Amino acid sequence: MSADPYNRTVRAYFADTEHRGDVRDGAVGYFEDQGMRIRLSAEVKGGMITRLAFRAWACPHVIAAAEAVCRQFEGRSASELEQFASGQIMQDLAVPVEKTGRILALEDTVRSLGQAVLDRLSTTQD
Amino acid sequence: MPGDADLIYLDYAATTPLDPAVAARMQSVQSRAYFNPSSNHIAGRRSAAVVQNAAEQVGALLSVDPASLVWTSGATEANNLAIMGTAKQREHRGRHFVTMRTEHKAVVDVFRQLEKQGFEVTWLLPDADGQLPHERFEAALRDDTQLASIMHINNETGAVQDIAKLGVICKERGVLFHVDAAQSVGKVTIDLTTVPVDLLSLTAHKFYGPKGIGALYVAKGTPLIPQMFGGGQQRRIRPGTLAVDLIAGLGEAALVAAASIDEDLRHLTAERNRLLQGIRDIDGLQVNGPLHGGYPGILNVFVADIEGESLLLALEPLCVATGSACNSQSQEPSYVLRALGRSDREAQSAIRFSLGRNTSSEDIERAVVVYRNAVEKLRNLAPERVA
Repeated sequence: MSADPYNRTVRAYFADTEHRGDVRDGAVGYFEDQGMRIRLSAEVKGGMITRLAFRAWACPHVIAAAEAVCRQFEGRSASELEQFASGQIMQDLAVPVEKTGRILALEDTVRSLGQAVLDRLSTTQD
Repeated sequence: MPGDADLIYLDYAATTPLDPAVAARMQSVQSRAYFNPSSNHIAGRRSAAVVQNAAEQVGALLSVDPASLVWTSGATEANNLAIMGTAKQREHRGRHFVTMRTEHKAVVDVFRQLEKQGFEVTWLLPDADGQLPHERFEAALRDDTQLASIMHINNETGAVQDIAKLGVICKERGVLFHVDAAQSVGKVTIDLTTVPVDLLSLTAHKFYGPKGIGALYVAKGTPLIPQMFGGGQQRRIRPGTLAVDLIAGLGEAALVAAASIDEDLRHLTAERNRLLQGIRDIDGLQVNGPLHGGYPGILNVFVADIEGESLLLALEPLCVATGSACNSQSQEPSYVLRALGRSDREAQSAIRFSLGRNTSSEDIERAVVVYRNAVEKLRNLAPERVA
């Protein structure tokens, strides 16, 4: 017998991926491994994240986690992306321990997006 | 999660609901003939008569002597008894077996166990559509082959093996022939007066009977040693108190099936065609197994580059099976689809629709919409690959 592997939050975010898509000409973080592909893109104005979007070929937990990241970081400082840690999202989504590696991969993708944003900001300031 | 009223149940190959006549029969037996059929008193004889009646009903469905049936807990036990029960009985002939890579785990794991004990097993691959060419089967038989075990209808793809032809080949070569008919008994006509089979496994819950009861047909003269010990029931081949109500349910399911197989097949063919028609124009959709000539109750398809676990969730409230043992612990792709030449990715995105007697046209039309929407959603969500 199998209990429902997805909690309400996973189901809600999976059903309503309102951040699905791409930010045109935005900074990008991309990951492909462990049976998943994920692409995050961001628009930043004045050091603030004005828009985040994602695309994912992944399991429901990763898709929900990507949606959660987008909802969490829009409107916040771009520098926070680099500090992202996935612990809270793991907890909120009740991610099974077997999928920890995938969520850590998402964490790396968020951080690489943060680096891409900072690189872009420094280039602009130069 | 969706409520029961919203569910679209298309997983009849996993299990079927109880037929109302079966439920009524079981209820009657539970209240009026709950006695131990081995008891030597009038009440026990009443239960024994119920068991005998069920044996006659199942015997009639297969055209066999009711005395040739051994009750088991289901097809898994029947498969174990058939294979293990003959393996050591015929060691004088040899220690070689023949089967297919696309068999159910209930056969695969038994042969794996025998391999650990030093027996040799030839694992045959089917063609891309799941069919086993009889020439390939015949070439695998050797002078030291004891037994060949081939499933009749494949539970994942609906591929139907020509058991009549394979049985004749076995008979000519002196090889025992076992058929796992879990997916075919009660669904297609099986006349064992014309199909030379030595052992055949069946289970009730695949054809509208109760879970927990099955049978092994054992042709007269077939050597078989018990795998369980502890009583004299069933000529000591399978001891244990008989579950009279379950056996009565199996018998009733056989009776219902005998009267409805032709109509069921007509119905399933029409609804499978409706389903295939509704999804076949999806870009990249392919059928796993035979496009024509398979069992019409099963349609297995895949669309390339769709993630299997997400597809299953996106398909809710549609109840179907995936092509992988995909859960949080495992993403092992189906070994059956791999044997058909599918890649891990292709197997993982496979969906098995299995239809049944209660499947309505409305169910199929809803399923088509749900499947199309799910594929579109996940395709729109996926990023382009970065080289």
